[in-house]
Amino acid sequence: MDFLVKFAEVFTGVFQAGGENLTGLITGILPTLLVLLTTINALIKLIGEERVNNFAKKLTRFRLLRYTLLPIMSLFFLTNPMCYTMGRFVEEKEKPAFIDACFSFAHPILGIFPHANPGELFVWAGISAGITALGQSAMPLAVRYFIVGVIVIFIRGNVTELITTLMMKRKGAAK
Amino acid sequence: MKTTVKVTRGPGGWGGPFTVQETETRKVVASITGGGIHPLAQKIADMLHVPAVDGFKEKVEPDTMIIAIVDCGGTLRCGVYPKLGVKTIDTHPISPSGPLSRYINEGNFVSGVVEDNITLVESAETDTAAEEVPKAAPVTKAAAETPAASSKGMVGFITNSGRAIGSVVNIFYQAGRDSVEIVLKSILPFMVFVSIMVGIINYTGVGNVLANAIKPLAGSLPGLLGLSVFCAIPFLSPVLGPGAVIAQVIGVLLGVQIGKGTIPPSYALPALFAINSQVGCDFLPVALTLAEAEPETVETGVPAMLFSRLITGPIAVLVAFLLSFGLY
Repeated sequence: MDFLVKFAEVFTGVFQAGGENLTGLITGILPTLLVLLTTINALIKLIGEERVNNFAKKLTRFRLLRYTLLPIMSLFFLTNPMCYTMGRFVEEKEKPAFIDACFSFAHPILGIFPHANPGELFVWAGISAGITALGQSAMPLAVRYFIVGVIVIFIRGNVTELITTLMMKRKGAAK
Repeated sequence: MKTTVKVTRGPGGWGGPFTVQETETRKVVASITGGGIHPLAQKIADMLHVPAVDGFKEKVEPDTMIIAIVDCGGTLRCGVYPKLGVKTIDTHPISPSGPLSRYINEGNFVSGVVEDNITLVESAETDTAAEEVPKAAPVTKAAAETPAASSKGMVGFITNSGRAIGSVVNIFYQAGRDSVEIVLKSILPFMVFVSIMVGIINYTGVGNVLANAIKPLAGSLPGLLGLSVFCAIPFLSPVLGPGAVIAQVIGVLLGVQIGKGTIPPSYALPALFAINSQVGCDFLPVALTLAEAEPETVETGVPAMLFSRLITGPIAVLVAFLLSFGLY
């Protein structure tokens, strides 16, 4: 009998703990997230995709901007997954590298701008919840995540472009 | 006479039924399931006597696809092909979700499909509905814009500014609707899932076992570097990618351990990169299609990016490690 009671206690206890956690997430994250999502989504519509596209075309020529500002802008204004359409404006051999940079920034952007990829929020929100649980602010982590993200996509873009170019040359030579 | 194949939804699935057949322009069955031809794609292709192509290895023009087979858990891919006007089979039983869910309807999407759901229909008359799916238009534009004749003077000014304010309000209202929808369809379900995990970890002994397993991996620089290389192994990374589900689950697990003090908070930043060196590895062919890349670019681009991750994965962890000095 005692065993059954113990079992029942653990069983309901798991769900109570889960429920408490859910309450925390819903009251802690959701209201701010909704307000922020709405504001930025409206802002993006007011600015208009066309203006963003025209500006993006000017950035593609510069290596530094191509793998930093351009992916950031694409994610911010077009969000995942439509941000990849911005790849139309870069040269053919740079497309995989540009998209690699977009992919790799799809999570570092979440700490500050969750509207860019809200469906995959918990890569960031999972780990930052640990910092919050320790009673510290997650904002310093969010800012550094963003900065390191920019450095990483610049490196990644260049490495992937280099490898793509080499492989294309080798294929061209084989033919 | 052309053979027609009928597809119905599988157990727990959504959408359909619809029929597909070869047309003047649509000539291949595309399998976009993280490498390899899915058995469903092969079966349909055999029935229609057309080739099945691996959309992960080579780029297929959306306009030439008879049907696309995807294995999307409801995050991105399930909406991409309906948006491009291609009928889509999802092997996972999901209802429309993800950022592109508004393009999904019963006429262009069917999910949870298993082999028994695919049947051959021998009919001489062509199903006109199966010929062409019109590009699905988003049904969000509700506000009818009536171009009123612009009047002059004070009245004109008032009506014009009234109209301008009205349109701004409408934009915000629609943005609010979109935001609520993504919260309901993507964020809240994941929060529930996360809460179940956290409940189990915190209330049972599983947490301690996990802590012992994770600590050497995520609580030291060599461990994190190893993790980042592991996630970037070229034949693993496309499997780990879809919907970032695995990265999110590991993120939550690590977060719980950081909160408990098992892993020092200074490792949070490098860990964010270590668990995510596979990001997007499943999605490159689709993304390149959106970027209007040539087929040759896809063929070289996919292996190039997968290989690049092996190098840049650990580099990202190192950069993050160096830049986390002074943090927490």
